[in-house]
Amino acid sequence: MDLKEIKQRLSRLRDAAVGRKTDFAEVRYTAVRRSSLMLQDGRADRMGAGDRSGIGLRVLLKGAWGFASTESPEDSDWLAAFDDAIDMARVSATRLDEPVVLAEAPAVVDEVRTPFEVDPTTVSVERKLAAVRGYEEASARRAGSSVANLMTGYNDARQLEIVCNSRGTLVSTESVRTILWHAITTQNGSVRQRGREVRAKQAGFEIVEETPAEDFSAKAAERAVSLLSAPPAPAGTFPAIFHPSIAGLLVHEALGHNIEADHVLSGQSILEGKLGTKVAADCITVVDDAGIPASWGSYRYDSEGVPGQRRVIVENGVLRGFLHSLETAGKMGVEPNGSARADGFPHRPIVRMSNTMILPGHSSLEELIADIDLGILLRAGQWGYVWCEKGQYTCHAGEGVMIRNGRVAEQVRDVSISGMVLETFANALGVSSDFELEMPGNCGKNGQSMPVNGGGPYIKVRDVVVGGQA
Amino acid sequence: MSENGTDDLLKIAEMACEAAISAGAEFADAFAERGRELSVSVEKNEISSSDARTSASVSVRAFVAGGTGWWSASTVAEGVAREAGRQAAELAKAAEPDPDFSSLVSPAPYPTVDRLFDPAVASLGIREVAGWITRNVDSALAVAPDAVVSGDAGTRWREAALANTLGVRAVQRTTSASVSAQVVIRQNGDVGSFYEWDSARNLPDLSPDEIGTKAAREALRYLKSRSAETATLPVIFGPLASRGLLMGLCGAASAEDVQRKRSFLVGKKGEAVASELVTLIDNALIPGGLSSAAFDGDGYPHRPITLVDRGVLQTYLHSNYTAHKSGEENTGHATRAGISPSNVCPALGPRTAAEIIAEVDDGIYVALGQPSPDTASGQISALVDAGFRIRRGELTHPLKNTMVAGHALEVLKAIDAISSDYREEPGMIMPTVRVARMRVASGG
Repeated sequence: MDLKEIKQRLSRLRDAAVGRKTDFAEVRYTAVRRSSLMLQDGRADRMGAGDRSGIGLRVLLKGAWGFASTESPEDSDWLAAFDDAIDMARVSATRLDEPVVLAEAPAVVDEVRTPFEVDPTTVSVERKLAAVRGYEEASARRAGSSVANLMTGYNDARQLEIVCNSRGTLVSTESVRTILWHAITTQNGSVRQRGREVRAKQAGFEIVEETPAEDFSAKAAERAVSLLSAPPAPAGTFPAIFHPSIAGLLVHEALGHNIEADHVLSGQSILEGKLGTKVAADCITVVDDAGIPASWGSYRYDSEGVPGQRRVIVENGVLRGFLHSLETAGKMGVEPNGSARADGFPHRPIVRMSNTMILPGHSSLEELIADIDLGILLRAGQWGYVWCEKGQYTCHAGEGVMIRNGRVAEQVRDVSISGMVLETFANALGVSSDFELEMPGNCGKNGQSMPVNGGGPYIKVRDVVVGGQA
Repeated sequence: MSENGTDDLLKIAEMACEAAISAGAEFADAFAERGRELSVSVEKNEISSSDARTSASVSVRAFVAGGTGWWSASTVAEGVAREAGRQAAELAKAAEPDPDFSSLVSPAPYPTVDRLFDPAVASLGIREVAGWITRNVDSALAVAPDAVVSGDAGTRWREAALANTLGVRAVQRTTSASVSAQVVIRQNGDVGSFYEWDSARNLPDLSPDEIGTKAAREALRYLKSRSAETATLPVIFGPLASRGLLMGLCGAASAEDVQRKRSFLVGKKGEAVASELVTLIDNALIPGGLSSAAFDGDGYPHRPITLVDRGVLQTYLHSNYTAHKSGEENTGHATRAGISPSNVCPALGPRTAAEIIAEVDDGIYVALGQPSPDTASGQISALVDAGFRIRRGELTHPLKNTMVAGHALEVLKAIDAISSDYREEPGMIMPTVRVARMRVASGG
């Protein structure tokens, strides 16, 4: 099907929904073609590709939501899915004290394509393999005899999302995302350590040109080798400096999920009722920006057809706003800000982050470290999660470096930290002028996985719990 | 469900294999499936959405000189299946030869696994599903009128067929149903919360109406949490948390990870990896088990295995490929993309969880948490999502901002009690497990 034909079919289905006296109807079509390859220990191990497409229909009937999806391309199945969505809405209405009223948003008719230079579908498998092999070789050279296992991968995905709703919005967004990843396991006797690096962008095959091995796979190898001789991290409460990748993880997990308005409205966020109040130290300003060119978490339109935008969430420690869908903006009586995203056609749009970051300050890293007698510098952010309602989070760092008498000292093995969101951000003592937005990943929420990015400066925080073994 | 049952899916899988061979593959297998799921979500005690999803897919693996090509598509149709087979073969040609690959799985009789499909679940309507979750909202509110409940209830049926070019033909129909609830209670500026769930393949195994009551009662217990001190202490993992610890061991036993030298269990087969109290049986044939199936992702028949016997690792978990590579027996643990344990049941101890807790003078109880080790390093560094301080044999106050740490092999060998009582979900036995000492860090 070409784009015009798909749009016509979606519009017909949308019109059928309007004819059934729905308050609101939305038809979304997504089609994605992915390709992937993995090199493992010198051999092209696995080559994969695939297509996935289908439609998701969402209707609002007497203030209650119903959703249905199907992968079938047949009109009859689309109509059956529509009937499903109506049935679902009727069930939702059986337990609904407050009917949903969506915020107003201008109808948008647009076709956009995120820019890229080299279309991955035009690049041969051999060329992709050669690039990946170069990364693996650089890692192997750096790690030498310590190498236990090398895995290097390249993935690309070309996605089309069309949003067609009963307010007249008809937006198609075509995007290309590429990922380079490298994971090395090193070994010294019975000790094994890992190094992992990921580069992910909304870009084409040019990501390879922009990613020198020295700053990617060789970096992972260096870390995995040096960790072999590092002692375990200590256990206890320490002043900590977070590298920008940990800052990105922290702002996403600890604060970011609490500023999603659906969490706020459902009583799951510790930031409920705190709009306009101080929730962090003065040095903390948090922005979620969907418009950063080529960043992994960016988008022109969200999955409700609302333009993505830059949102100041915390300004000098004061909570200024939340991330909104049409529904949450309607409930809170504010303007929608384009934060409803869906993980393909089988899922309904929910409130999500994009590129979430703490803005830089004026200190140098050395200045932040200078007055710490005993602390820890945490680098190489890996993963984390948060219990929003309690404000309790954990983040895992790929490596740590002890700080002794105002100077960086010995490296320690990978470790997790934990904290209480409001305490951690209130305990922020300073942020650096250095800044990175390099924590691309896929965030999980309600069974949906969504590309997001995170970053920030180095952050100095008093009293962080370090879950070490020593 | 299709009127033809799984016949048409099998035909689709066969077509995909034939197309792969025609396009130059030496071997191929294909997996075709379709299904439907219904779910109802609740936020702040109201239904936030009700969803219906139908799905279908076909995925093909093709092999040329051991090099693997994959292709998947989200439609079950003849043309799509043929194209998927052809594309998988083209990708396999681009992959590099793998001398460790020998062949695919050959046909063999499959064991019978009862109670994987419950027609009552498959035919359940969305209103019944909605009733599960809304009754749990009501039961939570009956326990705590200020409770805020979020959660989901859902049902799913699935039909699948697997074929390979050596003649393997396997089909399976499954159902599942689940209910979960997160209850948050705010009192005097304090927050208590808890998460409960139930899941089953058959309606008689599901207790959908008890979740809200349980979660609300637990949430009340977690008010007034505070930190502990940093120390080395006995740590007791309750049923849900102990599962993370023991499944972490099972996951690291993947022969793929071991052969690639990225598991802390490399070279540990036949050696003690845990305390003598730990015996783990992996059994994919448990009737109605959530991870039960007659065959694995390669089409190899499942059978029960003893993974750990009195602390000694008996075998690694193998797929067809890894078994051939190491010359060991295939244990039938392939998924379509890797290796995974199935239903894992630990042997039980002689004393109850209450007795095990009562023996601890000073320690930590972890009710919820993810104490899984890093597969490569074996290091555990995990947040206590919900837990209690133990003093003089009693759970005293709930914990906040507390972490537990240790190396997996040291932690597993330090297990000094496994309870006789346990939480049971279909195919899963989850006892309480005590570790004699772990590093505990806490603050704030």
